[in-house]
Amino acid sequence: MVMLKQSFRYDQSAARLEVEGLPDFSADHGSNAIGILSSWRLTMIGHSEMQGKREHLEALMAAVIPYARLRLSGVSRAQGQDGDPVRILPLEQGHQLELVSSRSDVPPLTLQLDDADLADLVRCLDALRHDARVRIEWPAISHVPLPKRDLAERTPLVQRLAAPVLGTGTFLILGLVGLLVPLPNPEPTQTTSPVEQQDERREPPISNPSQAD
Amino acid sequence: MTDVSVPAVSDPSQPEAVLGRRALERLDLLLLTLESLDLNGGESTLWATRQLGFETVFPNRVELWKRRCHNPLRRSPRRGSLAAVETEALIRILCTMADRLYPFLHQLLSSREPAELTDQRWALLNQRLKDLIEERMNLRRGAIQRLLDGQQAMPLQRQLVLTLALAAGPGGVDRLRASLLDPTP
Repeated sequence: MVMLKQSFRYDQSAARLEVEGLPDFSADHGSNAIGILSSWRLTMIGHSEMQGKREHLEALMAAVIPYARLRLSGVSRAQGQDGDPVRILPLEQGHQLELVSSRSDVPPLTLQLDDADLADLVRCLDALRHDARVRIEWPAISHVPLPKRDLAERTPLVQRLAAPVLGTGTFLILGLVGLLVPLPNPEPTQTTSPVEQQDERREPPISNPSQAD
Repeated sequence: MTDVSVPAVSDPSQPEAVLGRRALERLDLLLLTLESLDLNGGESTLWATRQLGFETVFPNRVELWKRRCHNPLRRSPRRGSLAAVETEALIRILCTMADRLYPFLHQLLSSREPAELTDQRWALLNQRLKDLIEERMNLRRGAIQRLLDGQQAMPLQRQLVLTLALAAGPGGVDRLRASLLDPTP
C-alpha cells in the first residue's frame, strides 16, 4: 500500500498554519485526507516558527479558542496553567502567547500578539477544526454562557461597589437619625411628695371672697 | 471567504437560544457595525440570508428589519423577543457577513498598519456608525449616548469590531451565541 503524505495549509494575513499527516486507510479515509497527524507548523508574522506534535496543537486549541470566547464577552483572563505546554494571557495592549517546549534544552517561546494576530490565529485553528479533509477527532471545545461572577470584572470596581456602599451608608445614616430623634416621655404618674401636697393645701383659693382686693 | 455551512433551521441539535434585552441590543449593534463597514450593507444582509437558506425565516428585507427592531434601543422598538430560530438565523447571517468583511476588520485591529491610515479608517467607521445610530436609534438612551460620545465611543466601537473579528467564520457561530447568552451582570 502506498502511503501518501498530505499537507494542508491555512493562511491568514498574519498567520499560517500547516499540518502534515497521512490518511488512515484502516478507517476508510480517502487518499486526500489526514487521519494521522505527523507534524504541524505555525508561523506568525514577525515571530519565530513554532512546530510540534498533535498534543501541542491540541493544547494550542484548548488555550486560544476559549480565550477568544472570553474576549467576546469582554472578559480578559489567562487560559492555561503554569506548566501547561501553551498559555495565553492578556496584556495591557494585546495578548501574550507562551509555548513551552517538551525538550528541556529549548527555552519557552513568548509571542506578543495584537488583536488582529489573535483573530488570525483563531481563524486558522477554526479552519483546521472544520476542514472535512482532516479526519481527526479534535478534543471538543464547548462554548457556554459565562456565570455572573466571571462577568463581574467587566464592570469597574467603583461601579460594582457603589450599590452595597450606598445601601450600607443609607442604613447607617437612617439608624443615626433614628437615634437622635427624642423618644416621647411617658405620662408622669402622681408621685408628688407629701410636703408639696401640704403646700398645695395651705394655698388659699384665688377665688376666696374673704380676701381683700 | 470561509463557508459557514448551515444546518437546517429546524435542526433539533441547535440550541434554543432566546436572547435577553442586552443581547438583542448587542446583536443589532453588531449588525449596524457591519453596515458601517459595508456601504451596501442592506443588500449584503439580504444576500447572506439567501445564501444561508433563511428565506423562510426572513422572506424579505421588511421582515428582517422587523426582527432587528426588537432591539430596545431602537427609535421605534417592537415588543417581545425573537424566536429561537430567528435568533439562530441572525447569528449565522452576522458571522457570514463578518467573515466576508474580515479583511476590513483585520485592518482596523492590526497594529502593523500605518497609524495615520488606521486613524483615518477608525474615523470613517465612527462617522458612518454615528450616522446610522442617529438615523435609527433612540438618542435619549444612555447606551446610545455613550456610543456617540467621543471619549467613550472608541473602546466600545473597538470591542464591537473585535467581537466581529473573533466571531467571523464557521467557528464564530458557537462563540458568539454563547456570549450573547451570557447573563446580564
